[in-house]
Amino acid sequence: MERTTLSRPMAIALAFMAVIWVSPFAWLFSNAFDTAATGRLVWPQNFGIDNFTGAIGGDAGRMFLNSLLIAAGTATISVVVGAAAAYPLSRLRMPGKNALLWTLVLLRMLPSVGVLVPLYFAAQRSGLLNQFGVMLALSCLNLPFTLLLLKNFFDTVPIELEEAAYVDGASLWQIVTGIVLPMSRAGLAVVWFFSFTGAWNEFLLPLIFSRVEAAFPMSVGLYGAFGRMGAIDYGFLAAFSIIYAAPAVGVYFLLRRNMNTGFAGVGVKG
Amino acid sequence: MRHQANPWITSNLWLLSAAMLPAIILVGALLFFTGWAITFSFTDLGLTGRKAVEWSWVGLENYERLFTRKGFLESLWTTVIFVFFSAIVGQSVLGFLLAATLRGTVSTTRSVVEVCIMLGWLLPDIVAAFLWSATTSQTGLINSLFVVPFGLKPINFINDFALPVVTLANIWKGTAWSYLLFVAALDSVPREIIEAAKIDGATRWQRAWLVVLPIIRPHIATNLLFITIWTFTYFPLIFAMTGGGPGRQTETLALFLYNQSFARGNLGFGSAISVAMLLIVGALSTVYLRMLREPK
Amino acid sequence: MLKRTLLASAAALALLAATAPAQAVSIMYAEWLASLVEPGIANYEAATGEKVEAIKLPGAAYDQRTSLDLAAGTAADVIQLDSFMVSEFASSGYLEPLTESAKGWDQYQYYMPGLLDVASYDGAVYALPTDTDVRMLWYDKSNFEKAGITVPWEPKSWADVLDAAQKLKDAGVQYPFQLPAGIKQGEGATMQGFYMALLGADVPEGDRNRLLNRETGQWIGDSPAIRKTLELYRKVYHDIGQPADLNYAADPGAAVREALANDQLGILASGSWEDACLWDCNGVNLPSREERDAMVGWTPWPGSGDPGNKATTNISGGWTIAVNSKAADKAKAFQLLSTIFDVGNFKDWTIKNHRMGVRTDISESPEYMADAYLAKATALAADTTGRDTIPGYQTVSALVQTMTTEILDGASVEDTVKNYHDALVDEFGADKVITYE
Repeated sequence: MERTTLSRPMAIALAFMAVIWVSPFAWLFSNAFDTAATGRLVWPQNFGIDNFTGAIGGDAGRMFLNSLLIAAGTATISVVVGAAAAYPLSRLRMPGKNALLWTLVLLRMLPSVGVLVPLYFAAQRSGLLNQFGVMLALSCLNLPFTLLLLKNFFDTVPIELEEAAYVDGASLWQIVTGIVLPMSRAGLAVVWFFSFTGAWNEFLLPLIFSRVEAAFPMSVGLYGAFGRMGAIDYGFLAAFSIIYAAPAVGVYFLLRRNMNTGFAGVGVKG
Repeated sequence: MRHQANPWITSNLWLLSAAMLPAIILVGALLFFTGWAITFSFTDLGLTGRKAVEWSWVGLENYERLFTRKGFLESLWTTVIFVFFSAIVGQSVLGFLLAATLRGTVSTTRSVVEVCIMLGWLLPDIVAAFLWSATTSQTGLINSLFVVPFGLKPINFINDFALPVVTLANIWKGTAWSYLLFVAALDSVPREIIEAAKIDGATRWQRAWLVVLPIIRPHIATNLLFITIWTFTYFPLIFAMTGGGPGRQTETLALFLYNQSFARGNLGFGSAISVAMLLIVGALSTVYLRMLREPK
Repeated sequence: MLKRTLLASAAALALLAATAPAQAVSIMYAEWLASLVEPGIANYEAATGEKVEAIKLPGAAYDQRTSLDLAAGTAADVIQLDSFMVSEFASSGYLEPLTESAKGWDQYQYYMPGLLDVASYDGAVYALPTDTDVRMLWYDKSNFEKAGITVPWEPKSWADVLDAAQKLKDAGVQYPFQLPAGIKQGEGATMQGFYMALLGADVPEGDRNRLLNRETGQWIGDSPAIRKTLELYRKVYHDIGQPADLNYAADPGAAVREALANDQLGILASGSWEDACLWDCNGVNLPSREERDAMVGWTPWPGSGDPGNKATTNISGGWTIAVNSKAADKAKAFQLLSTIFDVGNFKDWTIKNHRMGVRTDISESPEYMADAYLAKATALAADTTGRDTIPGYQTVSALVQTMTTEILDGASVEDTVKNYHDALVDEFGADKVITYE
């Protein structure tokens, strides 16, 4: 494929836009490195990294593992359950399946605060008030989007390849693992990434489902910066959020190459 | 295109059904909870206290109040403006323009721009809210760079332009999704077709309008549908930045719903609001889905 | 590799959860109360040799989690609650009455009766208060001098307050009178703003200056006092032109602090905690007593000035700790509660954190009296009242905040009161709502 290069004025315009785009972060960094941060945008009065040591001290390590467990668990359950159902949905001719999937996506519009109360009671009765319960609940809420995206994605895998493999004597399992999944790797990566970041940022569900402090994720720790009568520890908040956002950024970079191709599958057909 | 009789499918129907089972169970659970939320809209269920335990049926009363009491219609209008300018105009158009400009280029500029818009997307909502409040405050970045140096009095943005400020913040936060989707969509347009159009003498505009847009029409519609749904129900950013104020200036339906369900503690009325939101977006999406279909 | 780490941490968590013995007393509290609760837990563990299962929660969404937990029966044995939630939960049967257990505790007698009332329902005490507060008008002395107003400022009526606010505005002070409004600050707008004005807007007889007729248990849907209070809001925000944004800032406390630091603040309707919070709630970067006194002063909220109305008003709130009615071992739960509130621990915490005492054995101690500010503020508490803590208060409070929202938006007092009345009838039924002419 041919590559185009940007014209100089265009490159300058884009660089300018990038600067504008990141400029709000000035606040984040000026507060994170100011040990006497007040939430105002000023050059750090007492420059230091105490906020960071404070943010990674205490329970931060355990919270980090909990977040990782919840986010990776939710993403994995979503992708596995979603893919297992999306492949048959893509290949079988069922009347109204697209309408069904869109309806499910629309139903997810009902804000999760509305289903929180019945969800909590159900989880309590079935003994799922724990990390696994959080993952299951989040996967459940994710599933409509996951199904729709993965089904659209599987639709783009050429059926001729599967036919050829079948003629060569491959079983269903071999077809799926040898052709369909590798060819949809990018799509799976996109779905995994969005489930991961969604679960990573989820606050209310883990807070309410986790019975013991030892199970709280980082998103709950973030709110530790909020004290009484609206007293906020801005230095902690800023430093903690930098650390908190870092893994999601890291995951983005790991999966970045897949993103582009992955997204191509998002928009096909209705 | 698809053959009904794909033998590797038809001979494994049972296996495939078993594979679908977990998803069916989870979808069933989701429908069950959704059913509850809809049922609540016909009750006077409260958040705490007596009505949390001994609720009773009130018929369509909650739905009547959407129109006879103050709040819902005002919030609907605010939401329409917020969704239109921040999601449809802001995120979509900006995402598309960026994707079109950066298409096919490999440069540091591209990486930098991508990372920048991704950072907005990945930052926790609550932190993004503080970031934008600080940026637009009277001593914030915008005032100290663009207003005060020109000898003007600092502008109190949140007081005077609350809705534009949260709209801007949401564009900043959410453009990444539209951008990624449009990059992928534009890559799927075969280069030969564009080259052919060029040889036929089509101008740049004609190529974009008559050749590229029809091909990526499904992507545009999908994008619009997703961001409309998300923005319609998007809550944390506005909640933290303005809490719906000053007055009701930024009280979108998601905030109105929260205030009625949790501050006022009326879950029944809150459910009616969310069902109404569902119906509105449902109607909108049939319009989008019509766009998805190829013109005959 | 990643998977193995995950499995390991899952297993570790399962172990952690399993090691807590089934019978351990559990407690739920917000992070900011840790300095009171945690030494108490340590004392309890040392005295009984038993572990306490402590669940420290962030202040955000604390109310949501406790409500849901109590409703589902999954709450801890001992729970920290905002005082106005107590009657709500007690009426639902979630809380254990403490009157019986407290009889056997020698320190119970020192609690001030007025403050126990706030945590009572149907004649029984359901929770013990941690601290209380009073409310007043704070003002920036330098801006008052700039506007030509005598300091110390002693307004006798609303007219005096509005007059001062107008002078401040004319002198170029950006926020002449920050009167809390709107729904974002929740209870803050109801208590620091609306209720403080309402109490001085009419005669106290028949509860004409309240939201509830406490005699009959009926909410007041329309009254001269409510209209007068809304009129005050209209004058402050529209006639004088107080900007509304401080009520809606991402962090209202920080916005007020910033306005004060930039010399933009005139009068602030708030509470006793501002003695520290105007600079730093955590008390870390606090200027000296003299410096603070040179910058700001405070005065009691005057009544409207009409004959028969209260000369000054005050309303108090605060937090409490209660026992779950589903606690497995209620005796142990109460023991934990009384260990936390044991005078040694409680007094230390009250004095170190400059809280307003709720017990005479603490507030009359020499250490407490030595704090001139606390002593003076506590004098205000002599004539205070609590919120209308019957079930439904939370809803009414949100509706009151909505009234102030509408005034800010420019709605007329007439329409605003009508909407309020309609909403009260929607929530409680027409027989539970009255109108005062």
